[in-house]
Amino acid sequence: MPTSAAEPRSAANPPLAVEPLLRVTGLSTGYGKVGVLRGVDLTVAPSEVVALLGPNGAGKTTLLRAISGLLPWTGGVQFAGRDLSGAGPRETVKAGLAHVIEGHRVFTQQSVVDNLLLAAYDLPRGERSARVEEALDYFPEIAEKRHQRAVALSGGQQQMLAVAQGLVQRPRLLMLDEPSAGLSPVLVDRVFDVVRKLRESGTAVLLVEQLIEKALALADRVYALARGSIVLEAATSEADLPHRLEHAYFASAPVPAE
Amino acid sequence: MVLSIVLSGLAIGCIYALIGIAYNVMYSASRVFSFTAGTLGMAGGILGALFILKMGLPVWLGFLLALAGGALLGVVTEILAVRPVLKSLDQHLYVLSTLALALIVQQFAAIEWGTDAQPFPRIFNIERNSFDQQFWLPMLACVVTIVGLEVLYRRTLLGHAFRAIAEDNYAARALGLPERNLRMASYAIAGVIGALAGFAGGQMMLAFFDNATQLTFYGFVPVALGGMGNNRGAVVAGLVLGLFQQAANFLVGGVFASVAVFAAFILVLLARPEGLAGVALGRRV
Amino acid sequence: MDMSTTEVRPARTSLLSSPALSTVLPWVVLAAIAATLPLYAGGYWGVIATRACVYWVLVAGLNLLVGFAGQLAIGWVALLTVGAYVTSVLAAGNVLPALHPYLALAIAGVAGAVFGVIVGLPALRLRTFYFAITTLGFATIVRQIVLAWASVTGGGVGVPGPVFPAPFDSQWGFYYLCLIFAAVCTWMTANIAGSRFGRALTALRDAEVAAEASGIAKSRLLMVVFLFSGATAAIAGGLFASLQSYITPDAFTTELSVLFFIGVLIGGRGSIIGPLLGTILLTVLPEFAAPLVAWSTFLYAVLLLVIVLAIPGGIAELIDFKNRRPLQSNRAIVPRPDLLKRLLTQDTEPGRLTLEQVALSFGGVRAIDGLDLTINPGQVHGLIGPNGSGKTTTLNVISGYYMPQGGVAKLNGVVITELAHHARAQMRIARTFQTPRIVGEASVLENVMIGGTIDGRGTFVESLLSLPRHRADEKMLHETAMLALSAVGLEQLAGVRADRLQHSELRFIEIARALMLRPAFLLLDEPAAGLSAEEIRRLGALVVAISQAGTGVLLVEHHADLIFDICHHVTVLNLGKMLAAGTPAEIRSHREVVNAYLGG
Repeated sequence: MPTSAAEPRSAANPPLAVEPLLRVTGLSTGYGKVGVLRGVDLTVAPSEVVALLGPNGAGKTTLLRAISGLLPWTGGVQFAGRDLSGAGPRETVKAGLAHVIEGHRVFTQQSVVDNLLLAAYDLPRGERSARVEEALDYFPEIAEKRHQRAVALSGGQQQMLAVAQGLVQRPRLLMLDEPSAGLSPVLVDRVFDVVRKLRESGTAVLLVEQLIEKALALADRVYALARGSIVLEAATSEADLPHRLEHAYFASAPVPAE
Repeated sequence: MVLSIVLSGLAIGCIYALIGIAYNVMYSASRVFSFTAGTLGMAGGILGALFILKMGLPVWLGFLLALAGGALLGVVTEILAVRPVLKSLDQHLYVLSTLALALIVQQFAAIEWGTDAQPFPRIFNIERNSFDQQFWLPMLACVVTIVGLEVLYRRTLLGHAFRAIAEDNYAARALGLPERNLRMASYAIAGVIGALAGFAGGQMMLAFFDNATQLTFYGFVPVALGGMGNNRGAVVAGLVLGLFQQAANFLVGGVFASVAVFAAFILVLLARPEGLAGVALGRRV
Repeated sequence: MDMSTTEVRPARTSLLSSPALSTVLPWVVLAAIAATLPLYAGGYWGVIATRACVYWVLVAGLNLLVGFAGQLAIGWVALLTVGAYVTSVLAAGNVLPALHPYLALAIAGVAGAVFGVIVGLPALRLRTFYFAITTLGFATIVRQIVLAWASVTGGGVGVPGPVFPAPFDSQWGFYYLCLIFAAVCTWMTANIAGSRFGRALTALRDAEVAAEASGIAKSRLLMVVFLFSGATAAIAGGLFASLQSYITPDAFTTELSVLFFIGVLIGGRGSIIGPLLGTILLTVLPEFAAPLVAWSTFLYAVLLLVIVLAIPGGIAELIDFKNRRPLQSNRAIVPRPDLLKRLLTQDTEPGRLTLEQVALSFGGVRAIDGLDLTINPGQVHGLIGPNGSGKTTTLNVISGYYMPQGGVAKLNGVVITELAHHARAQMRIARTFQTPRIVGEASVLENVMIGGTIDGRGTFVESLLSLPRHRADEKMLHETAMLALSAVGLEQLAGVRADRLQHSELRFIEIARALMLRPAFLLLDEPAAGLSAEEIRRLGALVVAISQAGTGVLLVEHHADLIFDICHHVTVLNLGKMLAAGTPAEIRSHREVVNAYLGG
């Protein structure tokens, strides 16, 4: 009997009375003929840090791409009261939803400042520099390299630059896709510190991660995605989470011998 | 004699280089090559002659309208022939759609304008001398284009956005850049550059519908040799091509010159398919 | 579970290889119209019809190149020019004593074949667009040479075309000569289309990597097709010169070249009847639209644009009524593993497939870092690991797609690392791909038959002329493919166009195709991705049965369940190195493995 049903919230952490900032209902999507996500439900409240965990191939990156409009989807996505049906990445950014994609893909042939200015493309000219400085305040390591081309930065610094690009857009919700990939533990902690600061200043964060322990230490709530749907939803204060996660990942029905 | 070979070689080389740049700009924006680059050159010459000689408009106005015509052609190319096929899984469709569009425009020109080469107006009312405007106009156009693109790409946010789209289309989209509009704008710019090549080269090549075929091939050689998307390589290769062609024309005559150019082109490509300055592409499974 | 019959139902195959009446009927009608033309058409239409036949001789050959092989030879008029002038000059006796027109035509054919190979050689190295441009360059060069070499070709003045002897010297007589050539070309190209060579061409066009994994050698096959297309184009040139009575370089325009090219595409790729109808349409169209004669190339280009944007499949797609019939919606894939024993008979002991200390880097990244791996026959060996661990790269090294910088791959103790990618098929190493690589426009059966290409004995010429060995090959491949399809449970879809199938069905078709090689080793690249739980179960049972028939299976997978259920042995990769190896039970409780998957 599969044990992959979504687990109920514990009584110790009653649901927030506030209207969720992001509400995803029954979202399904895929690539061409291949369906990847089937009926995903997820919410993120304002100023909340939510971790999205799951094994490879589960569809975590696909889910972020659907929410930000890079992929078409069916179902429902509501953000800050707005229906995001048919919205592309440009519209979702304008609505206050920033997506930092996987793989720290910055524009290597351009300078740090130019990378950030591109994130401010749709802003009035006068505001751009101020926003860039604001974002650089979070990452002094790259602020001091502001005129160097991004190719000269290390992988970790490029990741910080990518996150900074998201911050330039002053999002209400920032989605980060595996920011820790390929980073040393020290740099991972730096990035996670920034996430903490963002929460304090009122920005919500949806964090896709592979590092379970660190993600659980940082987030308020966690979802586990496996085989295309949510298999676990819990507050991070609940007990025994790592074990329950492992169970949710590898749960399967035994196959009778043929 | 040597002087006239060098001058005409550099001039025609600049025309080829500009068409090559038009190819490159379209390629950078969409990752596909369009057959319409040579047609843009033809259009620049024909529109220039049409507006200035046939319709009697002042030179500056005819010039601007010719460039506008090129921009329009570029945008139409993007909407009709490129955008619809980018989504498709079939990789070679863009060759067919841009070929079809290029032919449509060329044949229309052949029918409405006629199949004979027609004269192109003198732009400046100065006497002919050895360093004549038919030689330095293309060179000027080339310099202005290079400098203009340099300023655009390096100094303006719009240019940065073009470069972002060219380097990593997916990341640019995710960042919220208006990728479709930027692609259209790139094609419009390519249209202007192509038309400029035809207009500036009008006195050398005349207003002739067959220029399209010539420029499609000879405008692509700089791209092939200089590396895809590499504008500086295109200019160098274009100038070398122009000089080589004019010298060969003088020394051994028309046919052998063409054969020589073509043979050199094929041999270089077979030795280095990515061009002399290009980057080898890796295969992926 | 159906254990009762081992009989395989005959399948309906595609338009080209089926002997059914519906396939033959259009040809019969066309042949009847063409043969009886003089009875009801005037002399003017006779000329048009002759021209259509001449054009078709060229387009039939070009069709194999453009439609089947996907080579964008836009400047093929160069070959028409070569053939026209060689025939005319030799028949007229400008250079050598006058030769008999038939002999001149034959020599032109040879010249065309040689020239076709020359024009085609760049195709092996150059990207699509580059090759298209070079063919345009060739066309221009040939015309310029003809213009300049006045002593032989008459330059701008031109030369008279050859006159063929009685009974072909009259207008209708010549029509019948051209009709005979057209009919022969149709027959020959239809034979190729329905042969393993035709299927191999479409595989190279649409799924090059899969084609090579099936053992198809691209260079050799393409050169043969360029040779054939060059020959037919040159012969068409000789006939063209005769039709025109007098040829000048002006007759061989870029517009004409593009017309041929468009004729193939309007007709639809991978079809014979489509481009034939397309050629007839393009030849006849200017006649009906008399005031618009000057607009003909314009119209052709508009037609091409419309086709590309709206109906990429062309006329062939429009008349493909068979594939309009709806498919059953709740289709289940029910494999029949019992059939595998008939399919997978091992003659000799294949030995083991091993990787020893293999190392491979891309740029500065070590994708595989000193890996040892052994696949034994009759076993399922699982290869798992997080994203980026090097699983697919390892599979690609074994299948010969990547050459490692260090270490060797061995089959039965013999080093195989240096051998070409497509040589793996000869060694009975078959594989599937992460994303199914199939020829969407071909039928399911044709796709599976591609897997057995190297088992054919007949040569290209034997297929061209439909000689006995070709027919024996086709029968063998057809039967084996139906058996393979039945084994994976998809025989009822054999005649359906592959791109109409669901993703999961495509995965099983890839396995059927791989089984055609009767593989000693089968490499599966994430076959469970996108499959439902039930389909994964059936896939697992099928893979187990394949291994029980003696094949050694390497299963690269993300789906932990499938791995643990069916593998005898599992290797876990992380960052290009082996992290752990052992039985599924050992791996499952291995702490480090769990951590690598969960991260931390």
